[in-house]
Amino acid sequence: MIHARAIHDRTDDRPAARPDGGETPPDAGGRGDRRWGAPSTAVPPGADPSRCPYCDRPFPSDRRRTLHLGDAHAAELTDEQAEAVAAVRDEEADDLFVYHLKVVAAIVLLLMGLAYVYAFVLS
Amino acid sequence: MTRSRSARRWVVTAVVAAAVLALLTRPGAAHGGTLRLSGSSPQVPFWLVSLTGGGVIGVSFLFAALVTDHDLIRDVAATGRRLGAIPASLTGLARAAGVAGFVVVVAVGLVGPSTPTANLAVLAIWVGWWAGFTALTYLAGNAWPAINPWRTLAALLPAGDRRVSPRAATAISVGGLLALVYLEVLSPLSEDPVLLVAAVLAYSLATLAGAVVVGDGWFERVDPISRVFRLYGRIAPIQRTGDGLRLSLPGAELTRPPATDPRPGERAGSAADPQPAGGSSRADGGTAAARSQDRGAWWARREGDATFVVALLWVTTFDGLVSTAAWETFARAAVGVGVPAHALYVAVLLVGFGVFLVGYRLACRLSRRTGNSYVSVPEIRVRFAPSLLPIAAGYHLAHYLDYLLSLLPSLAVVATDPLSPPASLPVLTLPGWFGGVGLLAIVAGHVLAVGVAHAVAFETFTGRLQPIRSQYPFIVVMVLYTMISLWLVSQPTVEPPFV
Repeated sequence: MIHARAIHDRTDDRPAARPDGGETPPDAGGRGDRRWGAPSTAVPPGADPSRCPYCDRPFPSDRRRTLHLGDAHAAELTDEQAEAVAAVRDEEADDLFVYHLKVVAAIVLLLMGLAYVYAFVLS
Repeated sequence: MTRSRSARRWVVTAVVAAAVLALLTRPGAAHGGTLRLSGSSPQVPFWLVSLTGGGVIGVSFLFAALVTDHDLIRDVAATGRRLGAIPASLTGLARAAGVAGFVVVVAVGLVGPSTPTANLAVLAIWVGWWAGFTALTYLAGNAWPAINPWRTLAALLPAGDRRVSPRAATAISVGGLLALVYLEVLSPLSEDPVLLVAAVLAYSLATLAGAVVVGDGWFERVDPISRVFRLYGRIAPIQRTGDGLRLSLPGAELTRPPATDPRPGERAGSAADPQPAGGSSRADGGTAAARSQDRGAWWARREGDATFVVALLWVTTFDGLVSTAAWETFARAAVGVGVPAHALYVAVLLVGFGVFLVGYRLACRLSRRTGNSYVSVPEIRVRFAPSLLPIAAGYHLAHYLDYLLSLLPSLAVVATDPLSPPASLPVLTLPGWFGGVGLLAIVAGHVLAVGVAHAVAFETFTGRLQPIRSQYPFIVVMVLYTMISLWLVSQPTVEPPFV
């Protein structure tokens, strides 16, 4: 772990220099897998961010940081971290399921609503 | 591994097919098409067309929210194949055609017939180039760097290498774009061929002077017209890359940093972006400072692109706004109380741009909040701005498609005999249902924008729920904007008053 510390926690509006690309290595050619890479961050003053042990990126919660470990550093994780990632992903999957139920409900409501409006307007 | 990959492909296909089917069978899509049908079929009121458009955007966001697999989203964005290199002879031919076209337009504009609809200069610039070539750029690919006659001519002149700061470059190109649209809407440029040629020559003088001072960088970073085509071209399925042309899904390029302006350090081929901030001693101070300066300039160019995209979106809207009956009423009232007409137009052009810019920046700020993220606001601004381009393109197509198609036969006939064209020129009369195509173009542009923003959000934010939540402000803005632009397009077109 010889990663240089990136300037993540600048509180002004300007982005710091690009963080150290640990998340998604940029691609040199013009192929389809060019990526933006890790985003620059700005921590609000007074906040106590939870930092990634690999790339030092700050997160508002431990849970978010653990998700990031799974997304960005899957190959480097210790067993303990891998377990934590699995557990947090499981929780997120549950949340996502409930969220998707709401999404489906919203789709149905929106379409039904529009259909009703059409029925009234065109009758 | 390959098995799960192909399974994933199937899931993508199924989801995309379901979304398309859902959109096609929506009542709004069908009724949008019958909007201007006269006769027995009942008319759909404008507010309902607007509402339906907003609904389609909302539904496409909700459908996108069901797709939450990072790998799958990346796979879709990276789909494509290489097409091979561009033959050098073709580039030479495009350059020659560009310069020849420029000379012919200037000459015919000066000595050709004074009736605008019979003058090749007027038809070639407004119909062939501003409507047709622009549409070709976002629908197929950007050929402007090769065709651009000023670039070819500038190559014959001595090239300077003066640096223009990214901020100044953005100011010049945004100012130039606003000025060009002001001229387009307000002066009789489309009615007076000689005046049009004068404007073209003035632009040529400014551009060539810029290219002599700055060099080729003028066209890459400063020239507003080149910037319009470069950005519109990024929507297109055909992209120029380091090793020839590449075919991919429309809009896929918008989810990535630009290929034409690689991030400093990428060319070195190192996977990790070297980070000079930690006080590492491996590079001497001079190189590290230069590198950091390069990176800052690259970033400033991306911020400039974001501002320019918003300006582009605004000017296409402005173009439609000033030819509505509502604007006419408003302008007449304002001029009635003593506001000078031109000042009114300039004020609205500038204030509207300000409103759009503030709206976009506010959405970015809110996105950081609804996503509860530490990603910096400028980062969000830069990454999400390209997703606005399909909206501008959809609006451009809606605004110009019927104009382009109806005048294309005139252009073809006039081109065969520019100095003495026949007295009666053919004009294509479009059927009534054609008005619906414009509405569909707007909605399609927004749906593409929703898809691009979704892919960018998953690249930027962590996990699977946060990227969706971060998009709420953008979706609200897009729904509002769709409703406004559908209303604008479905208004009958009137000539802008007092110009």
